[in-house]
Amino acid sequence: MPTRQDCVRVRRTIITVAAVLVGALLAGCGSSSSKGPVTLNWYVYPEPSGSFAYAASTCSKDSGGKYNIVMNLLSTSSDQQRVSEVRRLAAGDPSIDILAMDVDWTAEYATAKWIRPWPAALAAQVTRGDLPGPVATATWDGKLYAAPLNSNTEILWYRKDLLADIHQPPPTTWNQMIDDAAELAKMGKPHYIEEQGAQYEGLTVWFNSLVDSDGGGILTKSNQIIVGPSTEVAASIMHRLATSPAADPSLNVTEESQSETAFEHGTAAFQINYPFVWAAAHKDTPAIGKEMGYALFPRVNPSIAPKVSIGGYNLGVSAFSKHPQLAFDAVRCMIQPQFQRRDAIKGGLAPVLGNIYSEPAFIKAYPFSALIKAQLENYGLRPQTPVYADVTLAIQLALSPTSSIDPTSVVSTLRHEIKEALSSEALL
Amino acid sequence: MSLRARQRSGWSAAFVLIAVCSLVPVVWIVMLSLKTPATATDGSFIPHHWTLSNYKDIFKEGIFTSALRNSIGIGLISTALAVLLASMAAYAIARLDFPGKRAILAVSLAVVMFPQISLVGPLYNLWRQIGLYDTWPGLIIPYMTFALPLSIYVLSSFFREIPWELEQAAQVDGATPFQAFRKVIAPLAMPGIVTTFIIVFMICWNDFVFAISLTSTTNAETVPAAIAQFPGASQFTQPIGDIAAAAVVVTVPVMLLVLLFQRRIVAGLTAGAVKG
Amino acid sequence: MSTGAVAAPDDVARPRRKRLSDRARAERRLAAMLVAPAAIVMIAVTAYPVVETLILSLQRADLRFPSANKFVGLDNYSAVLKAPVWWQDVGHTLIISVIAVSFQFVLGMLLALAMHRTLVARGLLRSIALVPYGIVAVVSAYSWDYAWGLDSGWIPKLLGLKSDPLSHPFGTYTAIIITEIWKNTPFMALLLLAGLALVSDELHEAAKVDGASAWQRFWRITVPLMKPAILVALLFRTLDEVRIFDVIYIFNQGANGTESISMLNYSTLLDRLNLGLGSAVSVLLFVLVAIIAFIFLKGFGAAAAPGGERA
Repeated sequence: MPTRQDCVRVRRTIITVAAVLVGALLAGCGSSSSKGPVTLNWYVYPEPSGSFAYAASTCSKDSGGKYNIVMNLLSTSSDQQRVSEVRRLAAGDPSIDILAMDVDWTAEYATAKWIRPWPAALAAQVTRGDLPGPVATATWDGKLYAAPLNSNTEILWYRKDLLADIHQPPPTTWNQMIDDAAELAKMGKPHYIEEQGAQYEGLTVWFNSLVDSDGGGILTKSNQIIVGPSTEVAASIMHRLATSPAADPSLNVTEESQSETAFEHGTAAFQINYPFVWAAAHKDTPAIGKEMGYALFPRVNPSIAPKVSIGGYNLGVSAFSKHPQLAFDAVRCMIQPQFQRRDAIKGGLAPVLGNIYSEPAFIKAYPFSALIKAQLENYGLRPQTPVYADVTLAIQLALSPTSSIDPTSVVSTLRHEIKEALSSEALL
Repeated sequence: MSLRARQRSGWSAAFVLIAVCSLVPVVWIVMLSLKTPATATDGSFIPHHWTLSNYKDIFKEGIFTSALRNSIGIGLISTALAVLLASMAAYAIARLDFPGKRAILAVSLAVVMFPQISLVGPLYNLWRQIGLYDTWPGLIIPYMTFALPLSIYVLSSFFREIPWELEQAAQVDGATPFQAFRKVIAPLAMPGIVTTFIIVFMICWNDFVFAISLTSTTNAETVPAAIAQFPGASQFTQPIGDIAAAAVVVTVPVMLLVLLFQRRIVAGLTAGAVKG
Repeated sequence: MSTGAVAAPDDVARPRRKRLSDRARAERRLAAMLVAPAAIVMIAVTAYPVVETLILSLQRADLRFPSANKFVGLDNYSAVLKAPVWWQDVGHTLIISVIAVSFQFVLGMLLALAMHRTLVARGLLRSIALVPYGIVAVVSAYSWDYAWGLDSGWIPKLLGLKSDPLSHPFGTYTAIIITEIWKNTPFMALLLLAGLALVSDELHEAAKVDGASAWQRFWRITVPLMKPAILVALLFRTLDEVRIFDVIYIFNQGANGTESISMLNYSTLLDRLNLGLGSAVSVLLFVLVAIIAFIFLKGFGAAAAPGGERA
């Protein structure tokens, strides 16, 4: 039997609950629209230096009251960003105006008619002065579907002190790098090669860069499968690394940030990663940063310059936007050189405008800028296909874990898996 | 040592063992939330450098505060709706004579056990067409799939234990039906309702499958879904400290409920089979 | 996530003689009015998606190619059943479920006995034991995930591990299963506790007088009397483990050969936006759950039918 006290307590609980409930409801319904500039919703990943926010607010101000760009932040993970965007786009959501798109989503978004192609005249304007790699990622079926915002490419980072110990120059090929690591291992020195071996997009980037650097490919523009000998070469290198002393024991779960951390902890001699690691190492562990050297992505075939699969983001305009013209205007504003420069210097994002690479302020922050520019000019692309999400999944499944790749059967496995993925009707 | 003393020390040892096993992962996430970003991955159980900056960070970011608001709002509304509807049904089941009673309970049980992921596809498909994707109702409705049957189930067993005859007795003593209900039945039914409310709220608070599938922005993303998508210091960094801090914040209410209402929750989950 | 409660309220009809059929009819009408809102909502929120899933599973419905939608009969089902990944994922799910539930049962029984019999701080013990149950599943997954990480965690240091436990299937399975055991043992214990409460002390006393040891009493008296509660507990936990999702999502999204059926279903439906194929997976998952429930209810005796809590 409940006592009187019990009842009082219960009543008080209920009143509290009711009050919170009403409060929550009010909070949930609080927002309202008002007259004034048109709101443009920009779905974009979080950029911690605040450069995107700066560009958005500056452009809004400069629009003379025409539009106001509101940032809607997505997740850090690129896979998760795509999922958030495509679920809304498939819902025909009119509240999205501008989309930050990872470079390999263009074909999918364009084919599904989720984004608007840029009118030819505008297209020429927004890509003027851009490096060819980023423009290629934004193009599908001969049309420009997005404006390149920033780019990214992985280069080799190494420990100068460790290479001095074995009297070696920075390695120029994968095999040489693995040999160097083995030699360091023999001497009991830090020797890991940090690569992204987890089963996720980074694995596809690694594999595709190796295939392209051997002069091969995975898919043609018309989605013919051309998996061939280069695939076997690439898979063999991955397998060799994974089973050599150079392999970090965490290779199978390593993504970009784990690579960075391991390098900073001093257990690695080499690292293949994006330029963000440079500033991070100098900030987190200056002792390691001081010994950090950089070089081009190692070659697969000693006689072919490396072709690294480029990353980065483009800005697309949603097909469901109610204000496409204003959205195009806003994008044009936000990719201006002044913002790209700021993104690059403060945010560590490689610009797409070629001129910026020769500016002293940029070179100071990016001492390796020439390497980045070279790799963005002689670039590689991940397969461009409307079912990229399926193809990359198939590649990851076929190559994971890297230590159990069978180089002899990998070509037929991949061909089969990619064929299934292209049909988009098979379970992956 | 007497038998009783020996038994006591045995039980004390068991208590310590259970407490350690239950609490270590909780303490660990608290410790993690108090580490500085540079030491977050040093693997030490106790932080070398203590800081509250992770907590400041998450409350500075709009993502977490709006997720908290969504979690509280969606959780309370779902729970209130479910408990309200279930109270009526459970009253009928406990008090009235009608066919199909067992069927309702059996269906409730079956629905609770449904693999939630199986419901997500069609719900997403419908929501995207009628504009409920990434909205509060878009989560509240699916939450009914587990909140409602569970409420019916737990409440029925509470109501079964209520001595309904007291109501008639009160009326015989001259109380009006409304007075009888307010003074006699409501106080008897309240503990069961509150308990059910707490249990169902905890489960809504916990949901991940629906939240990750049917929301995508600060509009309706609840805390569990938001934590899994926290932005890091760079595009490639996982913000361990922020995740840990958010995890601690979202755990505090649950801890309070568990500590304050332990007896009720145990009674509710064992559905009246244990004398509280 | 655990949803559920143990003791099905048994048939709660109060024996009433139908003297007045008018009155009985009025009572039924009132009952119908009271039950209808809940029943309608429950059916709407579950029946609609279930029917829609069945319909979608017979179609090619890929949101990336809306113009290619068409009726394809059972093609999606044959695509799923022919795919090695489906069978692998069924295997992963069953491995996790069987191991996790076995440990939860043994540890849950010990915990239930402790909560039932302890002489020390009973209330506090119950509160502490409830902590893992109440904690948000995502939080527990993160806590354990970071605890197992080679660089970030305390477990590899404690065990003196050189290689990363989460980089190979054995370590990943161990970590995932331990997370599940930690999170769900308290719930298992509560379900069993309800059964323990039904075992009368007199029986134990009588057996003690007859010279039965504690072990014998446990096996000969407690367990048989608890059988219905045990069955319900095992059924609830098994069905919950079979739909495992949260922990795997947080740990590695199914890499390292740990993808569960729910994970596969999620990625097919919501990453690939292939609603047709994904719905076929949903239906098959549902069939699997139904089969498991059927085996439990029929194979282990009818005593555990809903409402049959009291033997």
